[in-house]
Amino acid sequence: MRHKKKKNRMHMPKSMAQEADRHALYQQSVQSPEADVEFFTERFEQLRNRPALRLREDFCGTALLATTWCESDPERTAVGVDLDGATLGWGREHNLAPAEPGVRERVELIEADVRAAEAAPVDITCAMNFSYCVFKTRDELRGYFEAARRGLKDDGIFIAELYGGTEAIDILEEERELDDFTYVWEQAMFNPLDHSTTCHIHFDFPDGSRLKNAFTYEWRLWTIPELRELLLEAGFQEVRIFWEEVEEDDDDDDDDDNDDDMLSGTGEYVEVTELDENQESWLVYLIALA
Amino acid sequence: MASQADRHALYEQAVQDPQRDVNFFSRVYRRMRGHEPLRLREDFCGTAALCHAWAESMPERTAIGVDLCQDTMDWGWRRRIAPAGDELASRVSLIRADVREVRSPKVDLACGLNFSYQCFKTRAELREYFEAVRAGLDKDGLFFIDLLGGMESMIEGVTDQDHGDFIYRWEQARFNVRTHDFLCYIHFVFPDGSELRRAFTYDWRLWTAPELSELLREAGFSKVHFFWEKTDPDGEGTGVFYEPAFVENQEIWWTYMAAET
Repeated sequence: MRHKKKKNRMHMPKSMAQEADRHALYQQSVQSPEADVEFFTERFEQLRNRPALRLREDFCGTALLATTWCESDPERTAVGVDLDGATLGWGREHNLAPAEPGVRERVELIEADVRAAEAAPVDITCAMNFSYCVFKTRDELRGYFEAARRGLKDDGIFIAELYGGTEAIDILEEERELDDFTYVWEQAMFNPLDHSTTCHIHFDFPDGSRLKNAFTYEWRLWTIPELRELLLEAGFQEVRIFWEEVEEDDDDDDDDDNDDDMLSGTGEYVEVTELDENQESWLVYLIALA
Repeated sequence: MASQADRHALYEQAVQDPQRDVNFFSRVYRRMRGHEPLRLREDFCGTAALCHAWAESMPERTAIGVDLCQDTMDWGWRRRIAPAGDELASRVSLIRADVREVRSPKVDLACGLNFSYQCFKTRAELREYFEAVRAGLDKDGLFFIDLLGGMESMIEGVTDQDHGDFIYRWEQARFNVRTHDFLCYIHFVFPDGSELRRAFTYDWRLWTAPELSELLREAGFSKVHFFWEKTDPDGEGTGVFYEPAFVENQEIWWTYMAAET
């Protein structure tokens, strides 16, 4: 009996969650590198009156953005920095290897602390997906911003992404359906005494399986004025803020019982100057000028 | 009724509870320091209701109130402190000054309540204020502030509180997410329909708990404590405070922080 049971288990088909590749799912559900490249290109031209050619992607993970940057223009080069060698390896195999040789040669990957990595100066350094929120003290975060500034050319810019709003400081679980799976964002903990937060990404599959805690983040949720102050303390000249314009989303309404207006991003970014009211949830780019 | 109303009297009735503050501060001080605090400094004192309650609570106690507005302090002196008698009045002094300028005489307890310190909108200004407070505290002194937070603290909105003979209306008129600039009003509404609009206006920066901790430490305070009010099974405040390491965020909350010299 025992033997048979074991054999059965061996032949049990794997669930979709067991088969899944969390990096591929992450790229599909969280990242939109083409939109980022377009936004960076336009902003840099507008701010500096010249094209941006060299990008540094901090906390690059699979270096999808660095790869996309180099694919967008044969003149462009990129450097990706991340602490996690395994994730960089995944990116080499799945993003860089399939790319054109001309692209591959223009992407350099460095396994290091973003505060310590040395690379030739760049036009743009970016810290996407809130990764810098791992730095929980002002000293640590200022240290990172100083390093980012040191790595820029004289007229370089630093771009960091931040989320916020009244729902960002609450616990919640939010689902977004993609073609083959559901992306689940969970804010599991937020402590208003120190603004520490724990968030998870889970992936749910049509066979009912779940890839639980595919990614876990232990962050401090910084506010816009705090980041502005630290960027200026780190020596940046000026900080500008952009957020995505939103429109009412008609597609999502059918399976939604409540009548709340679902807003979705338009891909158009406007500078936040007068439009400064808080919302339930927002996402901004802070652009710091060296 | 609005034209007859006295905004300072309404404010004291609706917003302040000086006896509770005196009891709470004394209890925390005794527990931390092992003796009774005698000298209090009330920054942004307004009508100095807390100074009055402090001096009244014990014959050995003295209080200093500091505020920029002479008229408001005069109101408190005339309405409350002078009528309490010469002996009590001799133990209270009200100083018209910028709270950042006052560094003596030394006191056991200092406080900046009703979020008034939020008029300082830059880190440098707020740190300077905290430094001044610390300089004015004795070596085992304690500094109390209150703070406001929660999901609904960062949006616009109006809340009403019925006090029987008037409604206290708190309006968050503007919250700027870029700067945390926070514009608020207090209105009073009366049963005859009349309204004392914008009886008080506050042009603040809504500082967050971690920012306040950091600035207090930068100003030289050695340790910062958060207090949180215990709630009963219905979620109502019980008036009992404890020191948590973690709390769940709420729609709106206010609480005390204490900083040790």
